[in-house]
Amino acid sequence: MVKVILDNITKRFDDFAALKGVTLEITDKEFMALLGPSGSGKSTLLYTIAGIYRPTSGRIYFDDRDVTDVPPKDRNVGLVFQNWALYPHMKVFDNIAFPLELRKFPKEEIAKKVKEVAEMLRIETLLNRYPWQLSGGQQQRVAIARALVKEPDVLLLDEPLSNLDALLRLEVRAELKRLQKELGITAVYVTHDQAEALAMADRIAVIKEGEILQVGDPDEVYYKPKYRFVGGFLGSPPMNFLDAEVQDPYLDVYGNRILIPIQYRELVKKLGVRKVILGFRPHDAEVVRGVAEGLVGTVYSFEPLGREQIVTVSVNGASLKVFAPEGEHFTFGEQVTVKLREDRIILFDKKTEKALEFLEE
Amino acid sequence: MKDVETRPKRYERVIILALLLASLPLILGFSLLTISSLSTNMVTNLDPDSFHSTLENWINLFKGKIATTGGIRVNIWRITLNTLVVALGVAGVVTGISALAGYSLSRIDFRGRKILMVLLLILHAFPGVALIVGVYLLYRLTFPQSHDLVGLYSFIYVILARAALEIPMSIWLMKGFFDTIPWEFEWSGIIDGASRITVWRKIMLPLIKPGVLAVALFAFLAGWQDIIYVRTFLIHPTLATFIEANIEAEYSHMPLIAAAGTVYLLPTIIFFITAQQLLLQSYSGGIKG
Amino acid sequence: MRKEKLRDLSFFLSPMVLMVLLFYLVPLIMTIYISMTRMKNWNVERYLTEFVGIYNYERLFYMFQHDPTFKAVIMTTIVFVGITLMINVFGGLSLALATFFINERAASSYRLLWLLPRMSPIAVYSLVWYYFFHGSEIGTLNSILMSLGLISEPIPWGQVTPWGAWSVIIFVNGLVGVSFGMIVFTSALNQIPKELVIAARVDGASSWQISKRILIPMMKWHLLYVLTWQFLSLLTTYPHLFLLVEWDLVNRDYGTTLALYVFNTAFGRGEQDQGLAAAAAVVLSIIGVIGGFVTLKVLQFEKMMKKPRGDF
Ligand SMILES: Nc1ncnc2c1ncn2[C@@H]1O[C@H](COP(=O)(O)OP(=O)(O)OP(=O)(O)O)[C@@H](O)[C@H]1O
Ligand SMILES: [Mg+2]
Repeated sequence: MVKVILDNITKRFDDFAALKGVTLEITDKEFMALLGPSGSGKSTLLYTIAGIYRPTSGRIYFDDRDVTDVPPKDRNVGLVFQNWALYPHMKVFDNIAFPLELRKFPKEEIAKKVKEVAEMLRIETLLNRYPWQLSGGQQQRVAIARALVKEPDVLLLDEPLSNLDALLRLEVRAELKRLQKELGITAVYVTHDQAEALAMADRIAVIKEGEILQVGDPDEVYYKPKYRFVGGFLGSPPMNFLDAEVQDPYLDVYGNRILIPIQYRELVKKLGVRKVILGFRPHDAEVVRGVAEGLVGTVYSFEPLGREQIVTVSVNGASLKVFAPEGEHFTFGEQVTVKLREDRIILFDKKTEKALEFLEE
Repeated sequence: MKDVETRPKRYERVIILALLLASLPLILGFSLLTISSLSTNMVTNLDPDSFHSTLENWINLFKGKIATTGGIRVNIWRITLNTLVVALGVAGVVTGISALAGYSLSRIDFRGRKILMVLLLILHAFPGVALIVGVYLLYRLTFPQSHDLVGLYSFIYVILARAALEIPMSIWLMKGFFDTIPWEFEWSGIIDGASRITVWRKIMLPLIKPGVLAVALFAFLAGWQDIIYVRTFLIHPTLATFIEANIEAEYSHMPLIAAAGTVYLLPTIIFFITAQQLLLQSYSGGIKG
Repeated sequence: MRKEKLRDLSFFLSPMVLMVLLFYLVPLIMTIYISMTRMKNWNVERYLTEFVGIYNYERLFYMFQHDPTFKAVIMTTIVFVGITLMINVFGGLSLALATFFINERAASSYRLLWLLPRMSPIAVYSLVWYYFFHGSEIGTLNSILMSLGLISEPIPWGQVTPWGAWSVIIFVNGLVGVSFGMIVFTSALNQIPKELVIAARVDGASSWQISKRILIPMMKWHLLYVLTWQFLSLLTTYPHLFLLVEWDLVNRDYGTTLALYVFNTAFGRGEQDQGLAAAAAVVLSIIGVIGGFVTLKVLQFEKMMKKPRGDF
């Protein structure tokens, strides 16, 4: 149970920089999700915390203790690997007991602790099997049990659910969240699945090409993306983006004029930006028939999803996705207007793709 | 493979026949040797009349009577045992050393690692047999004074010297096997508090059992078939030197030597049939291209 | 380096280092040293300190120019290595390709059969050919040819110099190398995506065209590997030759390569001359080490050496 502080961590492999100045503070008992696309350096960051990689520069602290040069075994972290890395030649019991055996615990105590953690993860009946005799979900529990049995200060999880099928994933993810809170353990959870991150984490750190773009609680990251990338990476379907030009007090969006959202009026003036990107989430707009105030276009396609449907609207060549209630029926090519919820609009600077409110940082 | 569905059948027969023709000397040679061991005289000239079936050779072989007349006797069991000791010794030394070195070359980054690997490749490419004069001088210089130790010493020396020849290739083979194990297994152990030595012993070795077996088999066969080193360093006879010495000897009964040859060939055949896949995979020299 | 790492490294590497020192480095130095002494008949007490400088090398050079026996050895080495190498590469390639195009069961039986030369004990393998090429009528080859009426008298194949002797040693060693080539090429063939072959088949290509246009170009590296590796191996190994000569199946002069010459001069029957043998061994080693370096460069092994991961 510690606070993890990453201070300006850089990691180079030969001349490739996998991490570029990562600074992040993970508070005690927090569930931090590390979210990013493939190759963004998530695993590298996790392994750096575990001590498998030594940062090229920067420091790592567990509470006040500088652990940058401490070998992995003295950091007391538990790590669940993406492929779980269960030892195939050991039974489940021995897999879980392995960390304790290395610490020379007495036999009875090992048995007791293994039993406890196995019960917690509901695998106590599987202890006598080999990993290959287990289902994916069971193997995954064993991997978590092995990481937990030594009562680590920090639990590191590298996409632990990515090898499970969709249904099982939903089930395990709820369970994992509950477990983390019950144990009150500091956890870093790597994933490239935005839904997973939103559902489980206390806070999310979005990472891209070795840089942390934004850290915040799920709402913050979801509704107040700092970068176009963050908005585009979270949500399904993701945020809509449209190029727009400032013509005070209007925005020209593909031939449509809309008022600059109230929260941005001052800022736009102050910054004097001209080219911006207008971003809004599919559920922060509605589609109305005919021409009205808003973005006028034609229905390109619609996909019923049960309770609601996604309508794709083509606005002078740009394409938007908007949620609409299930009852409404659209026809292809029908003229419609997309009305935006003004307070939910985000404007990004066209050049830096950074939200205007963060542009001066 | 391969292109089973698309392959024209008649070409296949032609190829199989051509292969058979090319393999004929090989088949003929080895069969004649085995057949001769069951006959009163050698049947090497394809004359069916020369074959008179008998088990005499095998019986005499195991009794150690190598000549039909006279009292020349050898203890063939002892000779086979000597061969076995050398082969097992070589297998043990080679497997142990290459399992150790192969791991560190595959998994530990240290200064000089690359140079070491290149050096081993050169030693592998350049068989150390050329240095046998020097190896013998070392043997002579370290030869024990006491007569009781001479036999033991020569066994140990021939095992070590012969093992040394196999070591560069075996280390590369073993390194290749370690390379195939995902790093997560290793990291998992390290994070749980294991030292590299513990990781090697408790995690990696069990995971590369097939590799260990392959290297051990190769080394065993190398020791089993060796003649030059055994002949030069070992005081006692092995099957190889036994056959070598008795080909030109007036007194020896040739079909009996053929029987000895068959015995000598047996482990090779057995290993091959049981572990074919394993050996084929590794035999390309442990170098994946 | 951390203390722990040093401990680990010495645990893993010291046995190997010890072996390399004891059986490669020390012998190399000793060989060089002996080549500069008058060592004879392994009379260590008497000759070990009798230093003669480069006298043995001068003798070797003189023999190279004037001694017909030694000239025969050199000729034999060149012809033997050259032709056997070709047989190894092309034989191995043909076998691998042929077994590639037939059904798996037949293919694996043939492969097994063709592994015999390499894996069977050297003494047994040599014994087989001893009878096959035997100079009297008990020789299998003679008896076949006589019953076919092609020859009337048995021919002592290995004693016909130079080509009879050369043919026998090339044949016997050729098969051993063919096994090696076959295994390497087969494994290379198995790595080629079979969609390529199937696509070509669908386009109507014959096996020959497939081999020439698709398979062989994709095996360049392996061809080079077998070529360079076998070259060094043929140059420096000699156990089969040793037995064939020892058993008088082939002519001594034209059955002896430089490597065997070293061995026989140092350990053979009659007068032994380790000083001379060591000098020849040093010459051989120099060729071998140069060949080894060239091999490494040509095959670009360094590219295959992945760096270990992790910094712990
Ligand atoms: N040992 C290494 N040597 C060189 N480059 C590496 C090494 N490990 C990782 N990289 C590179 O660093 C970058 C980040 O890798 P990392 O494994 O951290 O990505 P990731 O975010 O975990 O991706 P994924 O979701 O696919 O697991 C990648 O471009 C990768 O190629
Ligand atoms: Mg990863």
